[in-house]
Amino acid sequence: MSNVFFDFIENKIAPVAGAFASQRHIGAIRDGFIGGMPFMIVGSFLLVFAFPPFSADTSFAFGQWWIGMSKEYFDVIMTPFNMTMGIMSCYISVGIAYNLAQHYELDALPTALLSLMTFLMVAAPMEEGQLSASFMGGTGIFTTIIVAIYVTELTRFLKVRNIGIKLPEQVPQKIRQSFDLLIPAMVVILTIYPLNLMLQGQLDMILPGAIMAMFKPLVSASDSLPAILLAVFVAHALWFAGIHGAAIVGGIMAPFWLVNLGLNQDALAAGTELPATFIEPFWSFFITLGGSGATFALVLLYLRSKSVHLRSIGKLCVVPSAFNINEPIIFGSPIVMNPILFIPFVGIPMINATIAYIAVQTEMVGKIISLVPWTAPAPIGAAWGAGWQLSNGALVLGLIILDLVLYYPFFKVYEKELLKQETAEASDISDLQSA
Amino acid sequence: MKKIFLCCAAGMSTSMVVSKMQQAATQKGIEVEIIAVGMEEFEATLPNYDCCLLGPQIKYKLAEFKAKGDAAGKPVAVINAMDYGMMKGEKILNEALAMIG
Repeated sequence: MSNVFFDFIENKIAPVAGAFASQRHIGAIRDGFIGGMPFMIVGSFLLVFAFPPFSADTSFAFGQWWIGMSKEYFDVIMTPFNMTMGIMSCYISVGIAYNLAQHYELDALPTALLSLMTFLMVAAPMEEGQLSASFMGGTGIFTTIIVAIYVTELTRFLKVRNIGIKLPEQVPQKIRQSFDLLIPAMVVILTIYPLNLMLQGQLDMILPGAIMAMFKPLVSASDSLPAILLAVFVAHALWFAGIHGAAIVGGIMAPFWLVNLGLNQDALAAGTELPATFIEPFWSFFITLGGSGATFALVLLYLRSKSVHLRSIGKLCVVPSAFNINEPIIFGSPIVMNPILFIPFVGIPMINATIAYIAVQTEMVGKIISLVPWTAPAPIGAAWGAGWQLSNGALVLGLIILDLVLYYPFFKVYEKELLKQETAEASDISDLQSA
Repeated sequence: MKKIFLCCAAGMSTSMVVSKMQQAATQKGIEVEIIAVGMEEFEATLPNYDCCLLGPQIKYKLAEFKAKGDAAGKPVAVINAMDYGMMKGEKILNEALAMIG
């Protein structure tokens, strides 16, 4: 029974997922997001200064001082945030088009600039000398993805079909290149812009508004417990075949996470209740604490193991695990292709996810308002992501203890198996020596 | 000097393997430059290095990367999962050097 299941993952699901993750558009979206990440992490880090982690009636003097400062300098503090997270779709537009253009061996920078131009044209039409930023943040994510892919594909199509302004050979290369983008720019404006105008006339909404309305059901579905559990299950099941499931699932979830993060940050700024639960730090620090499989607890068990093999992995991996890097555990134990450890490896992150989801819904811990590098130690990262709410960090510590208990029986079974092997090998060696 | 690069999802865990490989190289007195990169940097890194080793967690990228490596005349291979897990720097280094030939 279990063999059928594992064969199915190994031979059917893993190749499909691998092909999917290698797909050029998916790859470009992923790499485009990575390009914008550093600004967004820094920008959202600053949010805590504008929204201190204290209630307004705190009796704590430092808290009162902080709240006072945050009110007085609100606009000053928020500008770096607004110019990073607040207009993230602009950066992502450049990043995706640049990466996809590189893949097609087009001129990457001009294509990226064309993508940015197109995005601004549809998402932020100028009125009275002002650009509206309302679709430049999270609500523009899906538009920016579509626009970047459209612009790059169009540029490529025109290049492959050799449609463009032809200048004689004598004209220097650089000058000819500067004409290359004229036709794509023209075609883009002639195709997308009328669509935007039509939507505006018919529905009184511009393209990003229409696209966001289309994706709305999907976005709210992505924030539900079944969606979270499905994502966790797929990501971890892929690891069984030894492929980086979290990188694949994370790539698919990234746009949704960013939209949800944008919703929470908008609500925070407006002083209303935060709507979204499932955002990257929720994944990184509650579900996969210590790395995929929530193996931080497992590495602690390894440290005290009687098996030499497991103990050496424990020593090798305890420090990286604190920063959520656990490949030595996954490949060294190995968890890959190992039915005994595979059950907790998939099951425990799902349990963590369920508990964390309930804790967020019952307001025992805070919702995510900030992006955090996934390599932050889990208790710190969890608190940081929620604007330094200590209860989030405490939940992580609680989950580690729970995971210790849950991993323990599986760890013991596997340890026993390894000990048998290790004593067999040791007696082989002593047999040889005595012979 | 021989130049090797390792590539995985984010270049994090491979950087641990890189430091083990460097230790082995120093012990044996081999001059070699080894770095770790994330998979989005593969193309930009390939021209400047002699060969590429992929972490087993992105073995699904092998076909794509190998085609690019072949076009540039540079060998590309996946590191054995157990060697990777146990961070066997010396063994991985030897295999990389054998690939460059």
